[in-house]
Amino acid sequence: MNPRVLTVVLSVGLLFSSVSLAMQLVNLRPPGNNQGYEPQQPIAYSHRLHAGELQIPCQYCHSGASRSKHAGIPAASTCLNCHQFVTASLGAVRAADEAAKKAGRAPQPVVSAELRKLYDSLGLDARLQRDPQRPVTPIAWQRIHQLPDFATFDHRAHVAAEVPCQQCHGPVETMERVRQQASLSMGWCVACHRTTKATPGGRPLRPSTDCATCHQ
Amino acid sequence: MSHDSQPHDHGTPEPLPRRDFLKVAGFSTAAGLALAGCGRQRTAGEPALPYAEQPEGVIGGRPVWYASTCAGCGERCGLLAKCVDGRPIKLEGNPAHPLNRGRLCAVGQAQVLGVYDSQRLAQPQIGGQAASWEQVDQTVLGALTAARDQRRAVRLLTDTRSGPTSRWAMQQFCAAWGDCQVIVSDALSHSAVGEAHLQTHGVRAWPRLHLARATVVVGVESDFLGSGVAPVEQAADWSRARDLAAPDGRYLYHFQAEARLSLTGAKADQRLPLRPGAAAAWLQDLLNRVARRLGAAQQEATPKPDPRLDELADRLVQARSSSVVLCGLNDLTCQLLANGLNLLLGSYGSLLDLNQSSFQRLTDDAAVVALREELAAGQVGVLLLAGVNPLADLPDGAAWDKLLRAVPLTVQIGERVDETSAACRVLAPEPHFLEAWGDAEPVNGVVSVQQPVIQPRTAARSLVESLSVWSNRPQGGEALVQTAWQAAVWSRRTTDQGWPAFWDQALANGCVEVRPVALPSSVPQALNVAPPPVDTAPLELVLYAKVGQLDGRHAWNPWLQELPDPISKVSWDNYAALAPETAAELHLLEGDEVELTAGGARLKLPVLLQTGQAPGTVAVALGYGRAASRRFAAIGPRWIGAHPSVNDQGLVGGNAAPLRRWADGRLLDWAPVTLQATGRRLELARAQTQESQVLPAHLAPAGDPRREIVQATTLAAFRHNPQAGAEPLHHGPSELWGREHTYPGHRWTMVIDLNACTGCSACVLACQVENNIPVVGRDEVRRRREMHWLRLDRYLDPTSAGLDVAFQPMLCHHCDNAPCEVVCPVLATVHSAEGLNQQVYNRCVGTRYCANNCPYKVRRFNWFNYPHDDPDAELVLNPDVTVRTRGVMEKCTFCVQRLEAAKAEAARTGQPLRDADVQPACAQSCPAGAIWFGDRNDPNSAVARALADPRRYRVLEELGVEPAVNYLRVVRNAPAAAEESHHG
Repeated sequence: MNPRVLTVVLSVGLLFSSVSLAMQLVNLRPPGNNQGYEPQQPIAYSHRLHAGELQIPCQYCHSGASRSKHAGIPAASTCLNCHQFVTASLGAVRAADEAAKKAGRAPQPVVSAELRKLYDSLGLDARLQRDPQRPVTPIAWQRIHQLPDFATFDHRAHVAAEVPCQQCHGPVETMERVRQQASLSMGWCVACHRTTKATPGGRPLRPSTDCATCHQ
Repeated sequence: MSHDSQPHDHGTPEPLPRRDFLKVAGFSTAAGLALAGCGRQRTAGEPALPYAEQPEGVIGGRPVWYASTCAGCGERCGLLAKCVDGRPIKLEGNPAHPLNRGRLCAVGQAQVLGVYDSQRLAQPQIGGQAASWEQVDQTVLGALTAARDQRRAVRLLTDTRSGPTSRWAMQQFCAAWGDCQVIVSDALSHSAVGEAHLQTHGVRAWPRLHLARATVVVGVESDFLGSGVAPVEQAADWSRARDLAAPDGRYLYHFQAEARLSLTGAKADQRLPLRPGAAAAWLQDLLNRVARRLGAAQQEATPKPDPRLDELADRLVQARSSSVVLCGLNDLTCQLLANGLNLLLGSYGSLLDLNQSSFQRLTDDAAVVALREELAAGQVGVLLLAGVNPLADLPDGAAWDKLLRAVPLTVQIGERVDETSAACRVLAPEPHFLEAWGDAEPVNGVVSVQQPVIQPRTAARSLVESLSVWSNRPQGGEALVQTAWQAAVWSRRTTDQGWPAFWDQALANGCVEVRPVALPSSVPQALNVAPPPVDTAPLELVLYAKVGQLDGRHAWNPWLQELPDPISKVSWDNYAALAPETAAELHLLEGDEVELTAGGARLKLPVLLQTGQAPGTVAVALGYGRAASRRFAAIGPRWIGAHPSVNDQGLVGGNAAPLRRWADGRLLDWAPVTLQATGRRLELARAQTQESQVLPAHLAPAGDPRREIVQATTLAAFRHNPQAGAEPLHHGPSELWGREHTYPGHRWTMVIDLNACTGCSACVLACQVENNIPVVGRDEVRRRREMHWLRLDRYLDPTSAGLDVAFQPMLCHHCDNAPCEVVCPVLATVHSAEGLNQQVYNRCVGTRYCANNCPYKVRRFNWFNYPHDDPDAELVLNPDVTVRTRGVMEKCTFCVQRLEAAKAEAARTGQPLRDADVQPACAQSCPAGAIWFGDRNDPNSAVARALADPRRYRVLEELGVEPAVNYLRVVRNAPAAAEESHHG
């Protein structure tokens, strides 16, 4: 091959790979860092609506946080505490009422498509009664915050230390779909463990920086 | 591109040399790929599945403890099952249970694996074909009706099932089918004990032993601390009887006469090697001497003076009513002699309890013999076998095969397919005890509930449920237990509780103490028996049960197979153990394969040299060579140099049951034997090969060949000077280390009382279960690559007059000045602020410098990935402990996951972390209570008190590594003579 041609080919190749590398460098991260991960969930559940607008406390649903290692994803039956009454958005219910009034008939119950998925998971029929014919299947949520197997995190200790949920999980109450805000990297954990000296309430704390605190 | 080797033409531009081109291209590709890999966004993975409907009381990740009852052996300890997210992952003793008091043995610890065993019988079978329970019930009920119509017998052959529900269900069943009998047969038979008591006390009963009150105990071939009837209870009592701080100054003296070195013999103050054939004569001699001293002598010739025996008789008589003679031989003469001795010594009522008698191994050998005759005569129409494996356990297994096949219907009720299954028409799977309702009454008046903690993973049905169906009164397990309890337990209550409150409390506590069932009583009388002449066969075979294997029913369990026998330190095999002098006479070396011949049966096994064994005896463990061990053909890493964990027959070890014999209607575990070397050599997987505390001459410092890894003293010396037995340091304190660490918060420390440690290995198994420690297989153990974080070292003292054996649990010492920490090039092992030596798996690159620099040799390296041999068994993994991969070093963490969980729980409740709140798995399980763990910075903690014990010492203290693990010296109650020779 003509060396001149080869040089040109190589230069073009080098330029191309440099450009693509530069693009990669923009969101360069160490392996396992999933900052910004925001997967599609099986039900378009809105934390902005529930935690933000309606101000339901985080631990109403994630009740394990204060008592266990894991905050936990609530069981579908927990949703039913409200959603046995609330079956669709207010707008949709009003619209159905209007339509019924216009047509001069009694209003029909309205069930939103997303909530139907919840009721299906619990095997509920149209009148929200348990139908033994329908299977009960858990909802397959996509997990967002996940530590590698060699690291462990105890929610209980952090709730006891009055760490606000948002400090690690970001402003979830503003997120339509939950996104991993923090890097969850070791440096990020340790930075907080090194600098924190007291709870927001002023109770002195001594967060451990021993390896075995997280690596067990 | 071939022109780069040609002379360059200066007229054309210089081409890029090929090597440079490849370098550039290779680098840019690699860099691009690496960076692309770094930047890769996560894609959807396995979904997280919450409950659809939230079960009450369950919080994800938070363990729930249920009280239940262990069925690993006949002891039936109360246990607490730790369930995380619906799965039992760890078993611990139930502190509320009056027998095991919160402790559990190695076998009990290992039981949880059975829940996830995919090779359990999942479905009933009829004639080898899968069947439904309806078909089984139809077949069985049809055969039962036919048997009743044809006036043929119905027999249920079962291992001991002493729970009120089992008794009730068996009663119902027998009442329904006319000529119906239950025959109890345990592979490890104690039938002669019951028979002897029938003759001396008028009741066929097995007394419960209260060892804690004893001051002198004489064991004759009785392994009560090891594979006996109730080792967990006895180990606790034994160590309580040897409390050096007892206010009345009592301290148990333990004499053991036995053929093989048993765990119990290893703990004895004095030991006499005695062949089983000579035991009766020895007991008779002892009886005569005791009777003479008590003025109850039979008029016989004056016994030959024997200072040792005379001293023993003196001790027994002096300690009258707190001394006892225990005989473990299934021989009526020996048992009658032992009863005679105990009657003379007044042991009944004080140490031997017949009111609260033991219901633990109620074998009736005579009934088994009678059943065999009935079977041979064709009188049995239906035979049910529950939890028994006669083909593998009985010496006449081959004959049983024919007999079982001749019965119109044989039903085997059990968890797994075993040797007997092929001879049975119907196989009725039984659930794991953690999956089913049941109960147990190990001791008359102590009833414990067996509560399921997980949904059954197979289509199994418990024996009591099956019996209820086959008695035409089908009931579920819980209903059966409640019905039986109302009739047989609530009626014996000592409180005035109503039934619902009584049941609720029993269920929550796991057990209840009620009035014992009254047994018929009569005035006890000693019988004069003439001991048979001493067996003079040149070589006598002794069959025994190993601590981890027992009768072989757990041969499927890889944890127990890999657990080294605490005496021989061999895992994955049984062997023919010989005294070194006997082996020398026979010109045998360790590892030589020999063929044993006894009573027409033959067995090939490798030889093991066992110090302490009686000369002229061969000891072989039962419970090996089981069909269940076939599954281990492929266990362990598969690489080019790998050897299988099974032998030529595809089994682990050889089954010695054919060498047992029936004599006078009793199953005997000793027989005359001949040995023949086959010329083959085999290497055993021994976890410890250096067992002496005396260093070889070429290694020892001048004039000081002893290394007191285990320090010991005698009782007299200890009373004189509590620090007796301390070894002077070989040199002064090390100047190598500064005091770098301060411990402002907790400072975790361990103290292990070697005097209490019986070597039962419960700690080894507890650690394995808790910390996800893999099983590596025989070949890897042989290469010294076993992974147990806590090993149990066993030392022999060749310089002592008798045989001084000491056990020493050896684990990471969490040194303040840890030699491992300073050599790690990647800081993968570092010190914590609480005194832990931490191992960070994700940092470790596997240089193994740390293991080389560890003076205690407690670090373990993952030479391979060691997954469970059964994929289902991954479900038993503790989610709080990282599973380590190949190339990573690991070691004891002081159960840091428990420490951290306890601290988090303390933070949650706002209470300070108290001493009792956290226990590592080893300390929690220890039956003898020999391990203390706690915060040394807390002056009120138990461990701080134990540290002040004058017996405290640290292994290799002169190195200056300041270990956090301390030991307490052994104090032997050795007689004065031995003491003088040793310490004079």
